[in-house]
Amino acid sequence: MVELRGIKHRYASRVVLDLEQFTVPRNGALAVVGHNGSGKSTLLRLLALLETPTEGQVWFDGKLVPRRAPPALRRRVTLVEQRPVLFRGTVRENLEYGLRLRDVSGSASAGIIGDVVEQLGLQPLLERRRDELSDGEVQRVAVARALALRPDVLLLDEPASSADRAAAGALYRALAAERAARPFAVCIASHQLEDAYRWADDIRALAEGRLSPVTPENLFRVELPPGDGVKKIRVGEVDFFVMTDRSGPAVLAVPPTDIFVSKEPLAASARNVLAGRVTGMAVEHRGAGVHVRADVGSVELVAAVTAEASKDLGLAPGARVVFSFKATAVQVF
Amino acid sequence: MDFLAEGLRRAWDLLVTGDSEVYGIALLTLRVAVVATFVACAIGLPLGYFLATRRFWGRRAALTVVNTALAFPTVVVGLLLYGLLSRRGPLGGIGWLYTWQAIVVGDVLLALPIAAALSAASIQGVDPRIRRTAETLGAGSWRTAWTVAREARFALAAVITAAFGQVVAEIGAAMIVGGNIRGSTRTLTTAVALFTSQGDFGMALALGFVLLAMALLINVALQVLQGRGSG
Repeated sequence: MVELRGIKHRYASRVVLDLEQFTVPRNGALAVVGHNGSGKSTLLRLLALLETPTEGQVWFDGKLVPRRAPPALRRRVTLVEQRPVLFRGTVRENLEYGLRLRDVSGSASAGIIGDVVEQLGLQPLLERRRDELSDGEVQRVAVARALALRPDVLLLDEPASSADRAAAGALYRALAAERAARPFAVCIASHQLEDAYRWADDIRALAEGRLSPVTPENLFRVELPPGDGVKKIRVGEVDFFVMTDRSGPAVLAVPPTDIFVSKEPLAASARNVLAGRVTGMAVEHRGAGVHVRADVGSVELVAAVTAEASKDLGLAPGARVVFSFKATAVQVF
Repeated sequence: MDFLAEGLRRAWDLLVTGDSEVYGIALLTLRVAVVATFVACAIGLPLGYFLATRRFWGRRAALTVVNTALAFPTVVVGLLLYGLLSRRGPLGGIGWLYTWQAIVVGDVLLALPIAAALSAASIQGVDPRIRRTAETLGAGSWRTAWTVAREARFALAAVITAAFGQVVAEIGAAMIVGGNIRGSTRTLTTAVALFTSQGDFGMALALGFVLLAMALLINVALQVLQGRGSG
């Protein structure tokens, strides 16, 4: 639906986004995860056609987007920014704002607003003004304001950052209901991996403006010594064995699927054997997999295992666990 | 003190009897002030928005020029305009020297920096997320600007009031390019100066009161409008 090709986006002279290719598929549910400053918000602004990349192309629905996207095209994509704001006026007037720009008014507008208000439980807030709302309520209204526009692509930047767990759950349920009624593409930037795993079809991780092969928990910024072969790299208070010929500043990535989880150290070829305790568990959205988070000597690693393996090993927060991975499994970029 | 009391009595008589000269001068002043404020704000507010929201080469220099122009002495503006509009000047052909239109042009030149500089500051005070949000919801450039302006409406109303205040109280340019011609280009400020120099304090005071009343009325009207649009 929206595709970025050969993107190099700069602020001043600093490259903040460097992507070979990035696609939000038609009617897909995509999550972009990454730490603060990883380039998520910039990526969303490019996808929303609000900024023109310094280098590269943006394609929408199979057509190349001109440098200054026409409003008609921009209106097919809607972005809810992190820490959204409401305009002066009531919640109802805010919900009407974008509809009026699209010449939707009267009963048609009231009908659409009625639907989103019901889905997000905003009925009691309709006549309130922005200074009478909490941050979480503002966030919900902002999502409703975007949903009311029925975009082909909805982009949400940390949509649940100000919401409590119940409100975040309501938000994701409303999104799912809306997508069931009218398919559209969603791309959510989040640092909350659990949410992403629960509902997204596909997850991309961003680190330092580039796509990372793994999720952000297992990314470590290091300084590599010169030389070839297996190198011992200090990460926190543990040593990682990494096979690389690169040197200088780099990011190490340990794919969660390449980590073996066991109760005792394995007699195997893996050079990295780290013992620790489970600090958290997250069930993947399809229910078949479990992401096990463990503290292994001041470093937190996430490993992906099947639900059966997790049960067999008796994994639970606080349980002793050993993570093993090969030196060749560590990716360097 | 006697002359002040006498002046006040004279002023009261002139105002309640509806002296045609006083009201003629007041009406011309109002016409000049309204037209000049409208033109200055029509150019200055969009210019202020542009300076506040766009990043372009030379923006800082442009802001410095506009801010410096705030302190332009009115007589200097009058003098420069006189040079342009006089018969031998480059714009002498249009024949505006000593007309109310010449006073309007002078007043626009004086009020424009106020409208541009203060509106730029007002717009810069609006949360930048408002502009971005309008864009994300599909607003074009004009609608986005209108949305931002609505957020800054109190500050922008103060800008319009300040521009009107500058125009209505200005004397230097009005005197030089208007000529203070009775029944034609005599404004409240030039008339006050003239009658004071002639020793007619009553007339000068009467016109001074009209000037104050006019400023008060405009401010009250703007405040009522702001109150209606609040929330």
